[in-house]
Amino acid sequence: MTLFQVLLQMVLALVLAPLINGLIRKGKALLQNRRGPGLLQPYYDLLKLWRKGTVVSRHASWIFRVTPYISFLTALMVSLMIPMITTAVPLSFFGGVIAVIYLLALGRFFVALAALDTASAFGGMGSSREMTVAAIAEPAMMLSIFSVAITAGSTNLSQVVKSTLQHQEQFLNPGHILAFAAMFIVLIAETGRIPVDNPATHLELTMIHEAMLLEYSGHYLALIEWAVALKQLVLMTLLVNIFFPVGVGSGFTAASLATGLIAFLAKLLLLALAVVLVETSNAKLRLFRVPELLSVAFILALLALASPFIF
Amino acid sequence: MSYDSVELGHRLITLMAAAMLVVQMLLVGQRLLPTVIALFSLQSFFLACLAAAVAYVNQAHHVYIAAGLTLLLKVIVMPLLLRRIIRQTDTQEEVEGYLNTPASILICGGLTLLGYLVAHPFSQSQGHSHGSLAVATALFLIGFFLMMNRRKAISQVVALLTAENGLFLAAIALTYGMPLIVEVGILFDLLVGVMILGILTYRIAETFESMDTSKLRRLRG
Repeated sequence: MTLFQVLLQMVLALVLAPLINGLIRKGKALLQNRRGPGLLQPYYDLLKLWRKGTVVSRHASWIFRVTPYISFLTALMVSLMIPMITTAVPLSFFGGVIAVIYLLALGRFFVALAALDTASAFGGMGSSREMTVAAIAEPAMMLSIFSVAITAGSTNLSQVVKSTLQHQEQFLNPGHILAFAAMFIVLIAETGRIPVDNPATHLELTMIHEAMLLEYSGHYLALIEWAVALKQLVLMTLLVNIFFPVGVGSGFTAASLATGLIAFLAKLLLLALAVVLVETSNAKLRLFRVPELLSVAFILALLALASPFIF
Repeated sequence: MSYDSVELGHRLITLMAAAMLVVQMLLVGQRLLPTVIALFSLQSFFLACLAAAVAYVNQAHHVYIAAGLTLLLKVIVMPLLLRRIIRQTDTQEEVEGYLNTPASILICGGLTLLGYLVAHPFSQSQGHSHGSLAVATALFLIGFFLMMNRRKAISQVVALLTAENGLFLAAIALTYGMPLIVEVGILFDLLVGVMILGILTYRIAETFESMDTSKLRRLRG
């Protein structure tokens, strides 16, 4: 059963992650009166990159070669640690929220390191910017998840979802609203969406995340792109399942899995729509304004964490 | 009315109060004047929803009228007036504060905690006051902080209006609806206030070629 469970969630995460990207791109295109690429375009992109050869700078060390694998594996592990369609989590024995946050940080650390490794000017700029953003986004994410974990009384994500499912009235708890708003800003920042970064551009003055990946090509790039998509799926899943665990199944019967899957997809679709609206209705912030946005998220998360003690 | 729907109503009230606080925090972090006005409009919308929820829970039908008036005046009319002033005076759209944004957001976080602490004894003695009093105090304090911190006259007006939103929230949270005549009086008072402040702002902008209130010290013949 456990093997089946691991395989199910792994396949689900791997398949769903690029689809979310396709969905967001399609939504943006429709709102801009374009037809846009099909929903399956991210899969074709990954396939194309996978088939291409790779070019590695002769100044690059082993870090450059090992980073795509680390980035991909950490993202995949994290995606096995959060409840998606059932409350049971394949890797629940391993650790909860803290492991999730640090595995994501490990992946980011190596990507930033690899960007410095080739000694290209853009790579260094990209990793410095990424770390500046992450230094504020990460604590905000931690605090907002912890504020939910405190109400649930556990840092194990499957326990958190179970307890939130039992106490449905906590949905409308003010602390959760503050934490949700903080977490949404973090999602925008961490996935490099528009007010913070633009995923669709390679304009050197503005890019943050893409600047770090400039030196990558071929299947290395495919792995990193897939890892980024997985990370996005992980954050979105955290957002929908921790705060609104409606429909997350508890058993392993076909019926509970099916309703869980449908509810999960519907919630992801709604969240993707929200992201599309934010991306289309905002302009990119100047880099020096990004910490201001993130400090709003940080304060919101801090208040969310403080609210159960004060009420 | 069943117990469940009352319970749901109370939760909706708390939810809307929290949403108002979130919007207030976004207001502190926001620099563009049109967005500041849009955020004020959104906050007032949440306030109107909250008033409607209070009316439903307490079966106080006159509060529905107050909610409708809030919706009409604060969500639609006042933002329109404020936008017209911006258009007429043709100002730069960026708002500058005396303090930088992260510092002012930190201060507002502190003010929110202060609001919670101040309201704590009240909520304990009141029983079901669902923390909206805490949120109201926080909105009030942050509104005054914004008034002190902002330079542009028009964003000071918006700050005053958000502080008033806090007051309205406190009144609703404590009394479950004031007498209708008081609420209507306050709302129209406020509307007239915004109109006068708008004219004043326009005059300031005409005379000093800027809405920056720190320039008002300079004598002008």
